[in-house]
This record gives sequence, C-alpha cells and structure tokens, in this order.
Amino acid sequence: MKVSRRGFFQVLGLGAAGAVASPDRSDASSPSASLGEGMGMLVDTTECIGCRKCEYACDHAHELTGQPPSAFEDLSILDTPRRMDEDSFTVVNRYPNPDNPEKPISVKIQCMHCLRPACTSACLVGALQVAENGAVVYEAWKCLGCRYCMVACPFGVPTYEYHEPFTPQVRKCTFCHERVTHEGKIPACAEMCPPMALTFGQRSELLELAHKKIADNPERYINHVYGEHEVGGTSWLYLAPREFEELGFLKLGPGALPSLTEPIQHAIFKFGIPPLTLYGLLGAMMWAYRNGDDPPVSHDMEGETNDA
Amino acid sequence: MPCLPKILISGLIAGFPCLSPLAACAFEGAADLRNRPCVDCHACNAPTREAPCLRGCPRPHEVAPTPIPATATADIPDFFVLDQLSDLYGPVFFPHKLHADMEGMAQGCAVCHHHNPPGKILGCKECHGGPSNPEHLGQPGLKGAYHRQCLSCHREWSHETDCAVCHQPRENGHIIPVTPEATDIMGRLHPNVKPPGKWVYKTPDMPEGGVVTFHHGEHIQLFGLACVECHRKENCSRCHGGTAPNHRVRTDPHEDCSACHDVSDNCTRCHAQSETAGFEHGRRTGFSLKPYHSERDCAACHVGGKVFGGLSPDCRSCHAPDWMPEAFDHKLTGLELDELHQEASCADCHVAGLGKPVGCAGCHEDGKQYPETLPGKRVGDATAPGK
Repeated sequence: MKVSRRGFFQVLGLGAAGAVASPDRSDASSPSASLGEGMGMLVDTTECIGCRKCEYACDHAHELTGQPPSAFEDLSILDTPRRMDEDSFTVVNRYPNPDNPEKPISVKIQCMHCLRPACTSACLVGALQVAENGAVVYEAWKCLGCRYCMVACPFGVPTYEYHEPFTPQVRKCTFCHERVTHEGKIPACAEMCPPMALTFGQRSELLELAHKKIADNPERYINHVYGEHEVGGTSWLYLAPREFEELGFLKLGPGALPSLTEPIQHAIFKFGIPPLTLYGLLGAMMWAYRNGDDPPVSHDMEGETNDA
Repeated sequence: MPCLPKILISGLIAGFPCLSPLAACAFEGAADLRNRPCVDCHACNAPTREAPCLRGCPRPHEVAPTPIPATATADIPDFFVLDQLSDLYGPVFFPHKLHADMEGMAQGCAVCHHHNPPGKILGCKECHGGPSNPEHLGQPGLKGAYHRQCLSCHREWSHETDCAVCHQPRENGHIIPVTPEATDIMGRLHPNVKPPGKWVYKTPDMPEGGVVTFHHGEHIQLFGLACVECHRKENCSRCHGGTAPNHRVRTDPHEDCSACHDVSDNCTRCHAQSETAGFEHGRRTGFSLKPYHSERDCAACHVGGKVFGGLSPDCRSCHAPDWMPEAFDHKLTGLELDELHQEASCADCHVAGLGKPVGCAGCHEDGKQYPETLPGKRVGDATAPGK
C-alpha cells in the first residue's frame, strides 16, 4: 500500500465532515399546517407620514442604540435610501410621488417574516425558525455565524455584528416576538405609529382588509398587496399608491425560494446518498490499489512514508 | 318597551324597510332612515336602546353624511382641547371652528365627520373610542383617527410632521396650559405659532448702514403687539404653502414699519452698519428703568396708546412730591418703618429692586430676615399709590 496514512485521513475527514454537515432538515422550512394563519402586519403607505416614530419605538423596545426620540427627528435623511443595520431593525425611506409631489410616499422596511423563509432553509443549525405565530425568530446560541441567511434572504434583511469580535449575532426585526407572545402587546412600531399606518392582526384578516381597502378606494391604491404572494407570501403586507418597484421593492415571483432549492438538496441527500457514494468511491479506490495497479506516487509521499 | 314586538317582527323580516320601529323609538334623525333596511346598521335581530348592536363603521351601506347648512356655523364649537391621549405628548389645541369655516374649500363637514348618521354630528371618539379594536381592524383607534385626519391635509401643506407642530410642549414633565388666547393670527384663534425672534435685512444701497435688525419677538413680548396688528393682509398659504415659509414681498420696504414708526427722516435709527441689540430703555432714552421701574409695563407710564415718548426723566413729572424717595411715606405700603429704617435709603433694603424680595444682610450681620423680623409695624391696608 503506497498511500500515506496522512493522505488517507485527510480524504476520510473531508468525507465525514460532509456527511455530518448535511442533515436532512426539511422540517424547518416545509410548509406547516398553519401556513399563513399566523399574525401579520399591514402597512398602508398612503397613511404613513414618514415621521420615523417606528424607528424610535423599535430602537427603544429592543434597546438598540438607546438614543432619545429627538435623535429620530431628522427627516432630511429619508430621501437617501437606507438599509437596516445591526443597530436598526427598521428604517423608513421616502420616495417621490409623481401623482402628488406634495405628498411623498414613505415606506417602512424591516424583515418581511416570510411564510416559507429562505433564511431558515439556508440555516445549517436551525438558529432561524418560523415561530407558531408566523414570526421568523433567531436564536443566537445556535448560530454558527456562517451568514448563509444573509445571502439567502431575497430582501437582503439580516445584518451581522461585524464589529463584535467574540459573540457576533445575526440581527433583524424580531416581529417583537417576546412582546407579542409573553407580554400580550402588539409590536412596538405599530403601537407607536401616530397615524396607525401599521395594522397588526391575523394575516388572513389583514389580507381581507387590504383587499377591501383597495375595492373601496380604487383611486387610492394600486391593485396589489405586496407580500400576499411574493416568495410564497410574507407576514408583512403592503398597500401602496404606486407600483412597488418605484418604492424600493423587488419584483419577486410567487414561489417560495426553498421550494426551488430544497427539492434538489433533499433529493441529493435522500437515503444518505452522498456519504454512501463517497465511501463507495473510496472503497473502489482501495480495491483498485490492492489489486496491484500502481497509483501515481509523488516524491514527497515517498518522503513521508520514510519519515513514518 | 312598546316597540319591541315591532322590532322583533321587523327583525324577522330583516332586509325589508322597517318603518314603524324607527318612527316609534329609534334615535333622532330616524326619519331619514325609514327606507333603509335595519341590517344596514344593526347586526342583531332585536336591537334595543340598551343594546343596539350597531355595526362598526364604516357600515356596509354607508349612511350619507348630513350636509350642515352654512347658517349653522354659529353653533359650531369654537375649539377643542384634545387631551384624551396626552400621556406621551401634551394635549392638542384644535381650532374646530376655524376648520368648520373652511369647509367650503373641500367637501364640507363630511371630510372629517365621515360615516356620520343623520341627526347629531358625532365626534371622532364616538366611533374611534380608544385603542384599535381587533374586531374592526379597518377602524383605527382614536390616536390613529386624530393623526390621520389632521395629517392627511397638513403634511401636504406644511410638510411638518413634528409632534410639536400640534402638541403643546411639555416642560419638566408639566404641560404648558392650553389657552385659546395663546396666539392670534388673522384675528382668529390659531394654535401654536412660534414667533421668530428677529429678522436681519440687508440694505446694501443705504450709505447710512447696510443692516436693519428687526426685533420681531420684542414687538410681541415687550411692546405687546398682537400678530394681527401687523399681519393684516396675510393668507393661509404663506405658511401653509407647498414650500417653506416665504418672506413677505413688499412694494415699499418701509410699509410695515411706517404704520407705527416715522420713517421719513433719521434713517440711522434702523439702518446700521451691523446688527443692533434689542430695545433697552436706558440706552435709547437716557432714562434707565433700573431699579424702580424695570418691572412695569410700558403702558403703565406711557399712557395713551402707541406713542411712547413725551415723558420727562424728572421724577416729579409723574410722581407726586410725597412719592419721591426723600419724602416717601412708607406707611402707604402697609408697613410703617421704625425710626432707624426711615433713615436708610430705599436701595439699602430693596437690594433687588422694588417689589422684589428685600435683603437685610447688608446691614444686619445677626441673620435678621424680613418678614420674620419687621423693620417697623404693619398698618392698615396696603394702598400704595401708583401701584
């Protein structure tokens, strides 16, 4: 046998790691019986006045930066599109309204809390899960820090504490899961919103309300509830007076992203196919070597054999 | 409950016009509802006065709002103080009548009093009673209803969504009391206008001085002018326009000042080389108001209107001889000084000015204090002349 021991273990180690790292986790992202029956939030962008009180409420509720309300009163920053970061789970952006230049359209963005999220599907360890009420919640103690969720999210929502050297976390809107489930409150942003542009309730009822609003005020809203079908449906739903692409929303298809990726992955890993294939291949190689065929041997392999 | 059977009957055939029950016992304005099916408004089959089981607003077939005749505006409430939700912010002073007067600009009272049934005009909180009702997600709570009503128009006009635009400010946790006389614009009640402190105008063509400082706040606070005395020809759109407030365009640059001031000569009174300080009586007239007159209103001495002048710095021009310091009878204030204190000058005790707390420590090192220790005795009523 001319293969060095170290070389063999290297190959074996890689195979074992691959087998361990590929558990079949279809339960985390497959549609459950209660899909779409959880809570939701309807954002009526025609009612939003762009006051940033939701940003303050979120900051205060999650103890993010601890800034006073006055720190959120500068409205001039609304015109430069902003994204969430590790210290702000929601931001408001303002877009021009060609129908009425005096009334720009303000749009609050945050995690959409997809019904079948790509982030939970991508997460190797189940640190992101869909809670009973529809919130996509994160458990830091499970998180590996691989940031696959950030890549997977079609809305680019999860952020990361890059500045944190020892205990970095993925950060995003929690849908105030603690407040809602344990304190019996509604999410902080909706509680604070002065014009109540955010309506918290059963997603199914919110959809009904959204379509009623559209039917009652066809001149006020376009006939599209963003989040009803996008990426398989999201818990956060939006009404708008203009096409959503003008308001910083991506045009996304109706299929849940995990429904594209998971069939392939699950098929590959079904019945332990990858480890069996790997070990089969290795066995075939060993069989071949044992039968006397000289494998190509490098010089340092020779050296290593001598050292051992 | 004589009409209950009728209601029951009409309830059984719900969907048909229910003439008699309404005529017999429903609320005022019911006559307008005669041809409406009961189920438009009532959710149950047997509504009673105690349990009318009214549907939430908006009801399936909205009741047309009652037009309010223009002659009725005299009965419209003038203003409301919206303080039901003032836990986070101060209450809002809402000039209701001012808005009612503007009803012609839009679609009438129904712009705000939407879904109002015939009869009495209902206020916001009649339907939007408190926090959002989970049973009627489409019906915002009182906070949302207020903010939506106000801001749907106001954010378009002034682009101001700051809380302090409407909410009375809180200072040290206390709310400044809301008074309808707070400000006066166009001769009408108007909430919370913060007057600017001063304007500085550049007049580069003037050889006497290229800067005119207009102490706007001083004219209000010190000289007691109401907004409307100068802003006579203002219109709403100057402030509530599409853009930031504009400066006024004047045909004659002196037209505002000349209403009160003589601008025909003496240019340097306003035109200076640099910004000027505010009004100070001593510097302007040579007669310092300190220490005895600093607390007095201008009009207390300058009686007879807007002409501030004509007074002599000689005390006797205003005061009777017995009111002069050398002959002043302190008994008139209700305190007769003993012999020792009669010798002292006024400022020895009135160290901070007349009418302010007196100080004894200048003479008394043993800690004597007024009023624990009196420098004399109390007499009669204090009827100080000139007070």
